[in-house]
Amino acid sequence: MRPAVSIHVSPNSGVPIYRQLMDQLRAQVAGGRIAAGDFLPSVRQVAEELQVNPMTVSKAYSLLERDGIVELVRGQGMRVKDIATNGKVRREAILPLLKQVAATAKQLSLKPEQVIAQLKPLLEEIER
Amino acid sequence: MSDAPIAPRAPLQLRRVHKYYGASVAALDGVDWSVPAGSVVGLLGQNAAGKTTLIKTALGLLRPTRGEAQIFGEDAWDLPAAVKARIGYVPQVITLYPWLRVRQLINYTASFYPHWNDELVRTLALNWAIPREEKVGNLSVGTLQKLAIVLALGHEPELLVLDEPAASLDPGARRDFLRTILDIAADGRRTILFSTHITSDLERVADRVAILRAGKITYDGELDELKDSVKRLHVTAEAPLPPTFSVPGTVRLKIEGNEALVSVRDVSEKIVDDIRRNYAATVGVQDLNLEDIFLELHHA
Repeated sequence: MRPAVSIHVSPNSGVPIYRQLMDQLRAQVAGGRIAAGDFLPSVRQVAEELQVNPMTVSKAYSLLERDGIVELVRGQGMRVKDIATNGKVRREAILPLLKQVAATAKQLSLKPEQVIAQLKPLLEEIER
Repeated sequence: MSDAPIAPRAPLQLRRVHKYYGASVAALDGVDWSVPAGSVVGLLGQNAAGKTTLIKTALGLLRPTRGEAQIFGEDAWDLPAAVKARIGYVPQVITLYPWLRVRQLINYTASFYPHWNDELVRTLALNWAIPREEKVGNLSVGTLQKLAIVLALGHEPELLVLDEPAASLDPGARRDFLRTILDIAADGRRTILFSTHITSDLERVADRVAILRAGKITYDGELDELKDSVKRLHVTAEAPLPPTFSVPGTVRLKIEGNEALVSVRDVSEKIVDDIRRNYAATVGVQDLNLEDIFLELHHA
């Protein structure tokens, strides 16, 4: 199945367009909106619909391929890889934020246990 | 910008080009620059930065005072007709024949080229609502601009050069124009260079950007790379920052007590971590859009 393009880019943002594309596709894959086995919309389709340079879309796609999120199927396009890979994708997506938490914790001289103790109830709150 | 070897027969290439008007006014001040095949390049510069002089010199319409300009590996000043047929050019100021009808002007232009894509010209003229039977002299500035672009595309040039193409178009027509640029660029076989001082035009369509400032190319590279590398850091330290506070690759720095705003050219995790550690500070990294970056680099 080939999903419709449900991506929005703002060219005037400080985030390069290829990264906006990657972030959104990554989130959609992680969130299950694009399932494993689905094909991403074609480069041409995305470029036309979003009115951006096709090379920018190609770049985002090949970086997603490098990251193991999609694979190129000759003559068919980019297919989302299976769920096992996506667990890793989800873990990687949160890593930059966790690094920031770790750095701030260090500045505030908080011990790892203290940070984890504070984080746990927050996570549980979201689950409920 | 360096002396690194450049792929042979780049669509457009300048080597150490100087251009003086009169004895002392340097419009171009030692430009080393090449446009890679298949790219869409936005040439960005403030008014009077030398954009038009750069384009005209690159195309052989002006003779460099020193240095050399080449198109597809041939001397731009002395281009063979076969190479000229591979270029499409839309100047900033368009002078066409006001007494001709649009249809006649199209036929007249087509007669100069061995290859002419009638279908393409017909489609574009239709999409852009250019009246074929109207006299050229009666067209509005915007329509004239569109016509000039259509005429520059008819022979399907490999290199398309547009000097401030969107300047006289209203927002709707500008969007149409950018769409067309993307269509033309879609097959990746054509190279497009356009100059502008409007950064938002560039961000959507260009994959490369060159910044011209006071006759010098001060940045030349991928647009994404520029956005990825130039960042503004918001630094908040526990104690007042010393006057010696410095960050590698600083473009602009402002210190106020415990806080600093610093724009850097090549941000990295290491740079940010070093600030955190050395000054016991929190550092926020702010993305900058092209307009911000352009302004930061110009205040440097």
